[in-house]
Formats: sequence, C-alpha cells, structure tokens
Amino acid sequence: MDTAHAEEATATRHEAPAIEVRDVSRRFGGRRALDHVSLRVAPGEIHALLGPNGAGKTTLLRIMTGLTDADSGQVVLQGVPGRDPTSRETRGLIGLVPSGDRTFYLRISGLENLLFFARLHGLRKRSALGRARACLRDVGLEEAAAIPVGQYSHGMQKRLGIARALLTDPRLLFVDEATHDLDPGGAILVRELVGRAAANGAAVVWTTQRIEEIRGFAGDVTLLGEGSVRFQGTVPQLLASTEATRFLIQLRADGVGASEVLERGVLALEGLGLLAPVGVEDPSHFVLELSDGVVLGRAAAALQGVGLDVVACREERSDIEAAFILLTMGERG
Amino acid sequence: MSVTVPADRASAFRVEIRKLPAFFRRDFLVAWSYRLSFFSDWIGLLVQVVIFSFVGKLVNPAKIPSFAGQQATYMEFVAVGIALSSFMGIALGRVYAVVRQEQVQGTLESLLLTPTAFTTIQMGSVAYDMAYVPVRTTLFFAMTTLLFGTHFYWSGLLPTFAILAGLIPFVWGLGILAASYTVTFKQGTGVVGLFTTILTVGSGSYFPVTVLPSWSQGLAKLSPLTLALNAARGAMLGGTGWDGVWPAVAILAGCASVTLTGGMIAFRAALARERRRGSLGLY
Repeated sequence: MDTAHAEEATATRHEAPAIEVRDVSRRFGGRRALDHVSLRVAPGEIHALLGPNGAGKTTLLRIMTGLTDADSGQVVLQGVPGRDPTSRETRGLIGLVPSGDRTFYLRISGLENLLFFARLHGLRKRSALGRARACLRDVGLEEAAAIPVGQYSHGMQKRLGIARALLTDPRLLFVDEATHDLDPGGAILVRELVGRAAANGAAVVWTTQRIEEIRGFAGDVTLLGEGSVRFQGTVPQLLASTEATRFLIQLRADGVGASEVLERGVLALEGLGLLAPVGVEDPSHFVLELSDGVVLGRAAAALQGVGLDVVACREERSDIEAAFILLTMGERG
Repeated sequence: MSVTVPADRASAFRVEIRKLPAFFRRDFLVAWSYRLSFFSDWIGLLVQVVIFSFVGKLVNPAKIPSFAGQQATYMEFVAVGIALSSFMGIALGRVYAVVRQEQVQGTLESLLLTPTAFTTIQMGSVAYDMAYVPVRTTLFFAMTTLLFGTHFYWSGLLPTFAILAGLIPFVWGLGILAASYTVTFKQGTGVVGLFTTILTVGSGSYFPVTVLPSWSQGLAKLSPLTLALNAARGAMLGGTGWDGVWPAVAILAGCASVTLTGGMIAFRAALARERRRGSLGLY
C-alpha cells in the first residue's frame, strides 16, 4: 500500500499545491533556524521533511500551522495567498500531530479528550462522539477509551495524537515525529493511517528523522540542514545523490576454509577496497569497503577471478541513510 | 467530514456557543477527578467562616453599617463579603490560571489549532466555575445560617445573583488581562494574587471601608467590587430586593466594557507577540 501510495503521490505532485512555503526565513536571536526555505505539497501527497536534530523541521511545521510567525516569506494554504494561517477558517482545515507528549488533558479519558476536541472543531455532540469512537478504533485504542490519558503509555498517547488529528479528515495534515519511540507495529499503523488520509486527498507534511520510513511512503522529500534546504526532490532522486561504498557480502569457495577465503579476497581486492570478517561466529560474511571510484562490479569480478563465489551482497548501510549523512554532514561534524 | 467555519456572523456565533458545553463537561470531569480537592474547597470555606465567627466576637456591632435601616452583625456582613470576594477570586484566578494550566499541560497550542475563537476559549474555560459559584454561594449562605444563626433576606438571593452576573464580565476582563500577562511573562501568580488581595481587602469584603485611611476610602468607593458588595449587602442584609440592583449592574457593565476591551486587545497582542517570538508553547 505504501509503495502504491508513493507512486500515486509522485504523479500528483505537479498539481496545484495545497501547501506552499515561499522563501521562508526565521531567526531565534542570533541563531538562524530557517533560511529561505520553499516547498510545495500537492493534495494527496505525503511530503517528507527530513533532517537531523535542530535542522529547523519543527520550526517550519509551526510556521505552516500558524503557531509561529516567519520573519520573511509566505505560507500559502489551499492556494489562497495571504490566507492567515491563524484564522479560524484555516485552522478548520488543519490536523496536527505534535511531537510532544503533553498535548492532552491527562485526568480525563482518551474518549473524553477526543470528544472535547471534536466539539471544538464544530461537530455536534452525537457526531463528535461517533467520530471520536471511530478514530479510537482506527488507532487501536478502543479498549482504552475510558482510561484517563495520564495512564496511557507514550505510544498510546502518540496514537491518540493521530486520532485527534484525523477527527475531521483534515485537508492539511502536519505530522511531527509521529513514529518516534513507537514500536514497529505502532509505526506501521500510524503510517497506514496517514497514508489513508493522503489517499483521501489530504496534503501531508511528515517530519521525521527515521529516514528509512520515507522509502515507499513519501512522494517528495525536503532535506533540511542548519535551516537550509540541502536536498529537494523525490525519494529515488535522494537515493541517487549518493553512491554506496560499504557492503555486506557472503563469499564461498568449494573446499576452502574461512581464513583462506579471507586471505584470497584481501589479495584480490588490493587497490580496489578492503575486506574484513564480520565476526568469528559468521565465517562466510564479510564487510567490503570500496575504494574511491571503484564500482561494486569490479570488486565482484576480482573476487570471482580468484575462485570466490559472491553468494549474496547488500549495502551495509542503506542508500537513504548514506544520503542523509552526506547531505547534512556539515552539522554532524 | 472536514468542518467549515460558517461565513455569516450569526451562524458562526451559534457554532461557537455550541462549543461551551464541551468546556463545561471537560472541566467538571477534571474537577471531579480531584475528589479530595473538590471537597476540601468546602472544608476551606467552612474554616474561613469559623475564623470570622471568632473575629466577629471581637468586633463592636455599632461599627458595622446598617443596610436599609437593618443593623447587620459582623458575621452577616462578612458572609456576603466572603461570598462575593471568593467568587471574584475564583473567577479571576480561573481565567488567569486556565491559560497557565493549558501552557503547562501543553494543551494551549492544541486548543489554538482548533477553529475556535479566543473569546470562546476564554468563556468556555470559566463556564464550569461560573455555574458552580452560584451554587457554592447559596450553600455558603445556608451553611452560615444553620451553623451561626445569621439572618439573610432570601428574597435578596436572586438580586445578588444578578449582581454577580454583572460582576462576571468585569472580572472576566481583568482575568483576560492577567492571562495576557501570563502568555507573555509565563508566570503571573504573584501579580494576580496581589491584585486580588488589594481589590477584595480594599473594597470592604472583610470590614467596612469606613475603617480604612481616608485616602483609600476614596479609592474604595471607585472600586466596582465595592459597588457590587454594597448592592448585594443591601439585598441580602437590608431586604431591599431589586432596588438599586439595576443601577449597580449598569455601572458594572460600563466597567466591564473597559476591562473586556482592554483584556481582548492585550490577549491578542500577547498571542501575536508569542507567535513572533516562537515561544507560544513555552512555559
């Protein structure tokens, strides 16, 4: 479902944007939080906002939702230039999943919290109650509906945050680190729900540091580093911006022991790269690190040339992670 | 399902009014979840009455003003003062505290992201207290009558509620001013507490303003709370009924228009400032 959605979203990204950020800058005292950032999100698209801690993702999200003002630049929502992001009309279109935990009334139940926020969105009591129950069911909190939110786990509160954001099927959905600290099952559920909202036409801005989750999920990506756009494009384009150099490979040679496989391999790769065993418990797997400018095929051919079969090979670190680190290297030292 | 905000003012107003019961329900559930605090409020009130009953034994009854020719005891005098000043304290404290509480809980931004007017948020946040306080006031008068033999004209209860209703917008305006201070400076307990004390003590809640220094007697006469107290005492202790209630309510309405307008301007300015600074959710 995720991959299909990403393809669909890529196809729709040239539509009139539902969210458009034009040249937005913001400083906090002497620190530059955002520097001339622009992005566009089409209806139905999931736009990943990627970056390390302090890159400016949350600041940008707060500016888009009207919680913080930009020093310069403009946010255009639903194609209406000059629309005040703090106006009631605009707020009715927005769903926000904040990154923090403390966004609910802890003394009252999850159902009562959702009922309250649904009523503030203008739903009448009966439909608010129905909607609150449906959203709790969607996020798997039906059983915990009557429990005070203060007794919810971190993951449950996150899911409740998703339920609140989806209460009114918002046209503009902003998700700030929603899967941070969630178990894999919870993260998949959250991505499914957000994917479903996008499939129903919502424009989604998905802020994350968990870069693996954007593959097959997001359409476009904006990578921020120190408040500047370091990359903007599709996920495949992000992957293409780096070349993998470290691989985990499995080697085999008939009638030859592990130490000799290593010895032969090291000799064969001289000038092409380095080969090191993964560990004594796993004698057939090695880490291959290619030298600059050497492609994987050349190294594999050299290994085969000395009678070593390459049984399996995969990147030791994902392309996407490598791209992330490469493009934000400045602030990571 | 996406909810649109009605374009015409009348429909938008109706939508906003429909949201108030949601605030009431939320605050009742929160108050009820603190059951000990819920009941300790009553114990605190009772202790206050007991203390003033002892103080009353030291006070020369001749020093207590009469109302419509009826000489009141100190206990009766102070009971009306406690009822109105505790109402004011609760209302003022609540309007101020609600913003602080939402900031600390982290729910302020969640609230501000709903298509709800600031005015509705403010009104809604005091809805529960505004409904609770008249009940509390009635039970308080009943309690002092039963325990300390005070005499009240019960026909003055509804006029007193009318005065309370006139006092609400005035106090609410002050509360919004205090809330603006909280949004901007994050801490306001000391300032609000000091202001409430000066206003209640200086308006004759606990003793007649005639015992104050002459310069502060003039100031006390200008206080809307003094006006409300005099009107309520006239109704409850002098049996004046509705006489003098409406002029007092009219003056309170004038004062309220000043505090409400100032409060709204200050609150909007405070929110705009915090958006500019990017510190709306900080506390």
